[in-house]
Amino acid sequence: MSEFDSAGALLKSAPKSLAAFLAAGEERARLWRPEELGAIYRHQMSAPILMDLGGFDPATATRLRTLSAAQSLLLTSFLDLFLHPVPPIELLNLTKDFAKGNMEHPDSSLPHEITAVLYYVSIAAAYVRLDRKISQLGDAEFKRGLLWAKGQPWVEKPIQDLLDEALQKLAAGGPKA
Amino acid sequence: MGFPLAPPALLGFIGIGVMSSEPTASSIFPRTDWAELGPTAEADAVRLDRLIRLYWTPLRIFLVASFPSLKDQADVLLQEFAEDKILKTGWLQRADRERGKFRDFLKISLRNFVLDRLSRAEVKRAPLSLDELEVDLPAAEETAEAFDLTWVRTVLAETLRRMEADCKDPAEEQPRRSQIWEMFRIRLLEPFFNDAPQVPYDQLIESFGLKSPTDASNMLLSAKRIFKAHLTRVIKEYAEHDAATAEEIRALEEFVAGLARKMP
Repeated sequence: MSEFDSAGALLKSAPKSLAAFLAAGEERARLWRPEELGAIYRHQMSAPILMDLGGFDPATATRLRTLSAAQSLLLTSFLDLFLHPVPPIELLNLTKDFAKGNMEHPDSSLPHEITAVLYYVSIAAAYVRLDRKISQLGDAEFKRGLLWAKGQPWVEKPIQDLLDEALQKLAAGGPKA
Repeated sequence: MGFPLAPPALLGFIGIGVMSSEPTASSIFPRTDWAELGPTAEADAVRLDRLIRLYWTPLRIFLVASFPSLKDQADVLLQEFAEDKILKTGWLQRADRERGKFRDFLKISLRNFVLDRLSRAEVKRAPLSLDELEVDLPAAEETAEAFDLTWVRTVLAETLRRMEADCKDPAEEQPRRSQIWEMFRIRLLEPFFNDAPQVPYDQLIESFGLKSPTDASNMLLSAKRIFKAHLTRVIKEYAEHDAATAEEIRALEEFVAGLARKMP
């Protein structure tokens, strides 16, 4: 671990550095730079599902573990969930709720872009793979969300394809049931 | 202009303290036995002693900037100012929050103290005209800015010193606390103060074993919260009240932002 000479560094610090440091140190300041979103997205997609969704109440967490284990999803990633041919609807719902909770929470530490993509992709996965709509979004709003997510330059191919499929299905009239 | 460097005994030390001939290693005010004045006075004295030690540099800078010819006597004058003014009963109470910021009160007090000493010296020796005295006083705004800038630097350096010690304290229960400091150092301190390049996110994942963006974001957010908590504590030691502390934090932020805009 390196040492930081606080007194030495601060003593010669320019007002610009001080101002920028204080602004960046604010809790509400962006934690991550826009150019880091790609790396954060890849990290999110490869993150173990239980790591993020495990923060729900104990009963839900237990249910989550059971579901993941039953579907051979234990300790696998969000990407695995979204690309699973028959993903558990409960896991998609939990993912959507996790994303929405972070999107709406002013103190959420996750970048809004990442949680928004997670939100739309979880809905898209249920829509495409399970023929189910798991949100109250109207078609127009859902479409706008899918297009927005698809437009993020860091959203990679398998998820781009899923979003495309959802858009095509929506254009064709939506779920059968 | 030459200000006579008078021996301490002639400088009218009139503090409330009971004098002790034994200097204490831990205090810059060795002549006052605060214990004999009761627990409240002792607590106040300890607090003031710490504050003066901490903010000695900005006070010195302000004094020298305001009275350049007193540069060589700055430390002695500050010592006298501390003993003669700050540690006098009621001085701190006069730093009434309704009458302005503690920082401003300190500046005005120091300036008045030195002017008073100068005029007293003038009466005794009559070597100076008031015009000469004026020449020695640079623009008030510049000296105030120099003082406030050094004050901000001192506050932040002290905040970071405490944060680092806190994060590296093995007794602390929060897991990964030393990693939190390291994240803060890599992410904020080194780029802003040492012009270090930003460490890529992928590298952070590896270095800190971060399991997800939530994990990474929580670590960085914790660091910011610990920093803010220490900053608040450092400022509250002189601003005293929560509202005044919050106001002082805002004022310091606005001051450096304003200064940054003025500079090329």
